[in-house]
Amino acid sequence: MKRLVLGSLLLAGAAAPLSAQAQDTIKIGMVEPLTGSVAYNGKSVVEGAKLAVEEMNAAGGILGKKIELVIEDGQCTPANSVNAVEKLVQKDKVAALVGAFCSSATAAIMPVAQKYKIPLVTGVSSQASLTEQGNPYFFRAAETDALMAKAFAKILANDLKLTKVAYIGVNDDWGRGGVEEFSRDLSALGAKSVLTEYFDHGTTDFFTLLTKLRAAKPDGVFVAAETQDGSILVKQIREMGLDAKVFGVGSWATADFINLTGSAAEGIHAAVPYASSMDAPRNQTFVKSYEAKYRVKPGKYGAAGYNALNITAQAIARAGNTDAEAIRAALAKTQYEAPNGVYRFTEKGQAYGFDAVLVRIEGGQPKVIASTPVDAPH
Amino acid sequence: MDLDLFLQFLTNGVVMGVFYALSALGLTLIFGLMRVVNFAHGEFYMLGGVTGWFVTSYLGLDFFSGLALVAVAMAAFGWLVDRFLIERVRGQGEEPGILLTIGLSIFLVNATLLVVGPAPMKVAGAVSEGPLFFGPIAVTKLRLVAVGVGIALIAGAHLIIRRTRLGAAMRATFQDPMAASLAGIRTGNVYAATFALGCTLAALSGMLLGSIYSAQASVGGLISLKSFVVVILGGMGSFAGAIAGGLLLGVAEAFWGGYVATGMVDVVGFVLVILILLFRPQGLFSIRAERA
Repeated sequence: MKRLVLGSLLLAGAAAPLSAQAQDTIKIGMVEPLTGSVAYNGKSVVEGAKLAVEEMNAAGGILGKKIELVIEDGQCTPANSVNAVEKLVQKDKVAALVGAFCSSATAAIMPVAQKYKIPLVTGVSSQASLTEQGNPYFFRAAETDALMAKAFAKILANDLKLTKVAYIGVNDDWGRGGVEEFSRDLSALGAKSVLTEYFDHGTTDFFTLLTKLRAAKPDGVFVAAETQDGSILVKQIREMGLDAKVFGVGSWATADFINLTGSAAEGIHAAVPYASSMDAPRNQTFVKSYEAKYRVKPGKYGAAGYNALNITAQAIARAGNTDAEAIRAALAKTQYEAPNGVYRFTEKGQAYGFDAVLVRIEGGQPKVIASTPVDAPH
Repeated sequence: MDLDLFLQFLTNGVVMGVFYALSALGLTLIFGLMRVVNFAHGEFYMLGGVTGWFVTSYLGLDFFSGLALVAVAMAAFGWLVDRFLIERVRGQGEEPGILLTIGLSIFLVNATLLVVGPAPMKVAGAVSEGPLFFGPIAVTKLRLVAVGVGIALIAGAHLIIRRTRLGAAMRATFQDPMAASLAGIRTGNVYAATFALGCTLAALSGMLLGSIYSAQASVGGLISLKSFVVVILGGMGSFAGAIAGGLLLGVAEAFWGGYVATGMVDVVGFVLVILILLFRPQGLFSIRAERA
């Protein structure tokens, strides 16, 4: 009989044979961009998440069942991410959600998660206002730009002896947020802001922007950009013959970034919540298993996926069942020992307590030069 | 100082203009001459970059041998696409071709994502990177080489169309396919050869520019858009128009970005297209207008 049902579902062309065995696994839904301009970073999140699930299932799963990760492509857009969540909730009947990478997409799925009363954990979206919306089902296991700026502005201003700083950011809420937070904190420390410019996602040529940068004569350049835009930008800063010190936020402490940027990456500084060279025993174990599985060292986003999945699954285990309220209560009491410190949540669902690091790229390796636990926002 | 700034913006604009003209060349042939509204143009460009990465990184070829190999491979690919796909919708108006090439572009992007993944890839450059100064103006050797190769490709394509028997056959076929085939021209081959040439030019520009920026599965959309802008600005099927359209777009973007804001620079192309459609809908250099 079961086979008959399964067969007819398959004939209907649905991806639903999974639901025939719903009672055998605990499902966690994941919405990440798998196509589009940040697909590359989205894929890293998925890789980290898959590793976490594999490890937990190898250790016997949770509540005596295996964890099943159901992944949907949200393309980083609000509309597609909402569709993906509807599908995960209605059809796959997931117990919890992880996603959706871009802050704008996450903001769109938060009310949907609340409507269906499904806990939602993001490991990436860093726009500060997300945790200010009073959504009790939302938890952010990630840094915000304000927290990073607060943690590193002083070290940067002193170590790099910054007096005149130019700010360049990708033209979205994340890039604008990063530029605003860092320029506020660095200005307060006496570094003058001489230029603020934004560029669109997917821009390849920055010579015009850099011409303006050269005319502004900064001694430091702050950049908020992801792997692809950031690597081309940093390369072209050197191609223009500029020798200002480059620092910023984004997924820079990764092998791919360094490989794409080449020698231009030498000496740049990145403030990141995670680097594979972090010096903690838990991190060394994590790097080893990640490298064994994917043949590349984990970066910021691989770690984000890994942590978000572990936090979610451990909360389900502590809740003792898949009841949404129980999971939510368990998430609020999170004390997760990550490769990069210990994650806890504030009442608003903002993570704190984990370590963030400032790295300098030296000899093609991200070298940690400062590490500090991220405090709870006041 | 202000003059220095102006000269650097102008140089940036001219370099970008040649790059735009180069990346739009293939579309000038396929859209401008063959009248196939080719939405897969950006994906041919992308495939050029990705195969360029493959031949330089995996097969270890130097840049120019790699470029030759990519040209041969993409010409064969273009020929096959025309014979097996475009052939089926020829002479049925523009809509079936639009649907076909949209489908083809979706297929090519996703096939590439499946095979090589979404990561940006580095195409080994022809010469070393690093700045080069002419007084206050900074460029790079790689950019100068790319501009040189770009101009050579544009001139080469122009000569093929204007000076060779194949070129004469192409022009005859697109003016009047019936008369051309009555005169003994194998029009099927001419269509396929034109499509293959357009596909190759798109791929070569993809590899050339991939060595300056990076190659990635999802770059196609933006390239298609900018190329349509260039072709519409310059006029359908005109090489001089593609160059003029490319330069106009590049310089306009550079000055807009330089003196207004870099955050909205992609708007410039569309404003130009709207203006040209209002005041000179046949484009700056149209060869169709004379016939229409």
